[in-house]
Amino acid sequence: MLTLQAKISALAFALLLIFGVPYLIEISGRWDLYYTLTSVALLSIASAGVWLTFYIGRINIGQGAFALVGGYTSAILVVKYGVSFWLTIPLAGLMCILVAVLVGLPILRLRGVYFAMVTLVMTEVARLTALALPITNGAKGISSIPLPGGVSLFGLTLIPDFAELENVKRGFFYVAVVLMLITFAGMYRLVNSRIGHLCRSLQQNEELASSIGVNIAKLRLIAFSISSFMGGVAGAIFVGISQSIYPASFPVKDSVDFMLNCFLGGLGYVFGPMLGTLVNYFGWDLLFTAGEYQLLIYSSLLIFLMLTLPNGLLSIFSKMKN
Amino acid sequence: MRKLTTLAGAATLAAGVAFSAMTAQAANEVLKIGFVGVTSGPAAAWGTSNVRSMQTRAEWINEMGGVKIGNTTYDVEIVTFDDQKDPKRAIAGMEKMAKEGIHYVVGPNVDDGAAAVRPVAEQNDIIYFPYAFPKELYTAPASNAVLGMIANYQSGPAIYKYLRDNKGVKKVAFVAANESDPLSQRDGGVAAAKALGLDVVSSNVTYQVDTTDFTPVLTPVLQKRPDLLVLSGVAPANAPQLIRSARELGYQGLISTETAQDATVLKEGAGDLANGFISVGGASTPEIASEKMKEFVTRYTKMFGEYNDESNTKVYALEYILETMKANPKAIDDVNEFKKTINTLSVPNIYMKGDSKLKYVGNSSFGQKRQIFVPMVVNEYRNGAFETLFIAEVD
Amino acid sequence: MEQIIVNGLYLGAQYALIALGLTLIFSLMNVLNFAHGQLYVIGGFVTYTVSVKLGMPYIVALISAGVSLAIIGAILEKFLFRPVIRKSVREESTMLLAAGVAFFLDALILLLFGEKQRGIPKIVNGVFNWDFRIIMPYDRILIGCLAVLFIVLFITYMQYSKTGRAMRALAQDKVAAQLMGVNVELYSMIGFALAAMLAGTVGGLLVSITGVNLGMGGPTSIKAFMMVMIGGAGVISGAIAGGFILGMLESIGLTVLSDFGDITYLVIFASLMVFLAIRPQGLMGKPWG
Repeated sequence: MLTLQAKISALAFALLLIFGVPYLIEISGRWDLYYTLTSVALLSIASAGVWLTFYIGRINIGQGAFALVGGYTSAILVVKYGVSFWLTIPLAGLMCILVAVLVGLPILRLRGVYFAMVTLVMTEVARLTALALPITNGAKGISSIPLPGGVSLFGLTLIPDFAELENVKRGFFYVAVVLMLITFAGMYRLVNSRIGHLCRSLQQNEELASSIGVNIAKLRLIAFSISSFMGGVAGAIFVGISQSIYPASFPVKDSVDFMLNCFLGGLGYVFGPMLGTLVNYFGWDLLFTAGEYQLLIYSSLLIFLMLTLPNGLLSIFSKMKN
Repeated sequence: MRKLTTLAGAATLAAGVAFSAMTAQAANEVLKIGFVGVTSGPAAAWGTSNVRSMQTRAEWINEMGGVKIGNTTYDVEIVTFDDQKDPKRAIAGMEKMAKEGIHYVVGPNVDDGAAAVRPVAEQNDIIYFPYAFPKELYTAPASNAVLGMIANYQSGPAIYKYLRDNKGVKKVAFVAANESDPLSQRDGGVAAAKALGLDVVSSNVTYQVDTTDFTPVLTPVLQKRPDLLVLSGVAPANAPQLIRSARELGYQGLISTETAQDATVLKEGAGDLANGFISVGGASTPEIASEKMKEFVTRYTKMFGEYNDESNTKVYALEYILETMKANPKAIDDVNEFKKTINTLSVPNIYMKGDSKLKYVGNSSFGQKRQIFVPMVVNEYRNGAFETLFIAEVD
Repeated sequence: MEQIIVNGLYLGAQYALIALGLTLIFSLMNVLNFAHGQLYVIGGFVTYTVSVKLGMPYIVALISAGVSLAIIGAILEKFLFRPVIRKSVREESTMLLAAGVAFFLDALILLLFGEKQRGIPKIVNGVFNWDFRIIMPYDRILIGCLAVLFIVLFITYMQYSKTGRAMRALAQDKVAAQLMGVNVELYSMIGFALAAMLAGTVGGLLVSITGVNLGMGGPTSIKAFMMVMIGGAGVISGAIAGGFILGMLESIGLTVLSDFGDITYLVIFASLMVFLAIRPQGLMGKPWG
């Protein structure tokens, strides 16, 4: 269980994100950071899902597909059926679970590069399906989606109407950060639970796990479903921010990025995807001033990191201990 | 987080200092104009030709002593952001422009990016000039986007009508890449062709942008024996291959597109087979290019080694921004003043021979003036260069 | 009908050649080389530069593409993949490296060769036309034949040369091969160089027909992954089969499904997923490659 020290630092981290970061932004005047940090939070939620599939020993390059499914679910529900945006977030996640179960049943039997490549293809399938279906409005996408409305319970405003919000960006920032904190707290719980230990046994040796009575098929499906749920949630909120979605909103590059984020942070650490996403996103952003050399420097750094810390950034701590 | 923030600030500052040290001449103030678009990856050519034409023009203006707006003379600085064709990144780019205090941005280059940045642009008072065609970006209640070129639903009908009346075209076939922008453009083209009474014999065939052999793609299309093959929203990389495949399959009819192309790319990729290919261009064909336009091409070539004909259509957005500010100096940081001036602006077009004007249009397409007026130059490719087929106007 | 088959064969030959290199690297080092498509693109640009900018004959350009890619491949293996494989706990880490290399090469291509589409003039003019049943330009026939020739050469080399045998032994059982005195490091490097050379050669062949641009890398890699999946990862014959099957599928799909619009690739992808669900190791792969 968590030590007191760990609990305090987790709480401090949460408070820092929710109160400290907005304060720093206000005094520094870097308003644009609200969106970039919101992006990081959302992308790290999706990456956390990918991390979970790594945890059961599967290389998942298909999270972009679920982000797209989640995004479209939210957009369609809001625009065509007038459902409240907030309600569409869990619904988007549930839709993704449904898809994950349908797709996962056959493909979770695959391992190694086969699973990786099938999921990679899945991202393309999602894009092509979005282009072909009438309900997604095909190539024209869905745009001009209204901002999220408010939610009140017994006259008490739980969530204000975003259209009347003075600073929408800050609103989305809070939403994303809170969800991210919940996600990673949940992930931590999960990994340290019985299911988590079983998942780890899967990662090491499926046959062995199966022989000691673990229902590996069910376990894999659960992990994959949770992973997809996270992808769907992140996708739905992105749609809320951009107020539009197109078939190419979450391309293959996103799927690859989600995977990279996990690697970058370190596959052995629950908070790896969070750090990985932060470094990956800001790494690119910081190099904004390098102009045409941006991609060159960025990729060189990525390669350099791999050479020096092939087990992820967080492995630096275990390295120092040794 | 704080460390990152300061780091980001320091890096931006350092680069800013370095940049201004390089470009500073007189003690002119600096006027920043933004660019958010794609300059890396598969679609790099679109954004690159775009941003380079802006940089060429900016350097030219600065060399001439800057641009005088009201009583102040400014040096123009182009602040660029590569959105990697990712709408999520495009939003970040727009946020960055807002933070830099920029109110006028050229880009993004594609539909999804342009739609995604709309909320940010409206919240931060940014007028942006996308190269994307969805009408809802430009019709009320949207009011911050100005279409930076001629839309395919405007050029398409003009081209089809011309070809119907002058070349006897009756049957049209459409092919498009399996992506949002080309497919939307195809649908617009099909509707326009039908409205003109043309027989659309094939419009379902699509291809992946990474296709390496277009023979199987085109075979079923050409079996319908069209007189005109329209390559909807074709990327400059695909155009020569499609033309070549069609000709090698024995197709004799006309081929056209509504996007801008580059003559060198066509020449290298399809050679003489591309002769007669019809596309929409800007203003560099010898018949209409003014001395200024020729100088622009020379400067561009000097700066970047090689000219890209796609830039012909992209010289205008920056020019319009500056001219509008000149006409109404208050517009420099007040987009509402800018919008007022949109309705009245009329100044000479320096890139074209004759007495063509720079003015905003769009009333008939969008119900408000949210499009820049550029000559719709329809080109025909012949032996490595473009020739003007006809020139039309959009209102 | 004849046309569909010929198209499929032509596509299949070029695809198979791309897939061969990818599968070779995988069989030797268990690395899924994300940067394979970029190697192909570099091959195209090198050929373009040598033949158009420097005015050399096409064959010289093609050879220089092959040679320079072999060198690049050897460098990539020795200085990047080898140390990472040695150090990392999980072998998937090489995927991040490969992705990083792909980005790096993309950036390099943009800086060195520019953003424009490039192509070289047709090497042979004219079109073969058999009574409108088969229409095939001569340059396409030539390139297709060359591709088949290279495939045959590659197989012969793998089958009968000492190097080829050593690489096959490595692919089959690394530990056993090592015990038998095969120099793993040397042959991994040769294998990587050979694979890169294949990719570069295809790029050099196709630049005369489809041209080349910096965006082709990623999609080419993905297509190559698919072929390798169909045939079975790490199996040479599987890659060839995968290439021809994908080529044929594309050719047939585009013809048969042309009336339904945008779904050919959707159908191909979906059937691929179903196929793998039924046969997880591809046509000829070892189970759980």
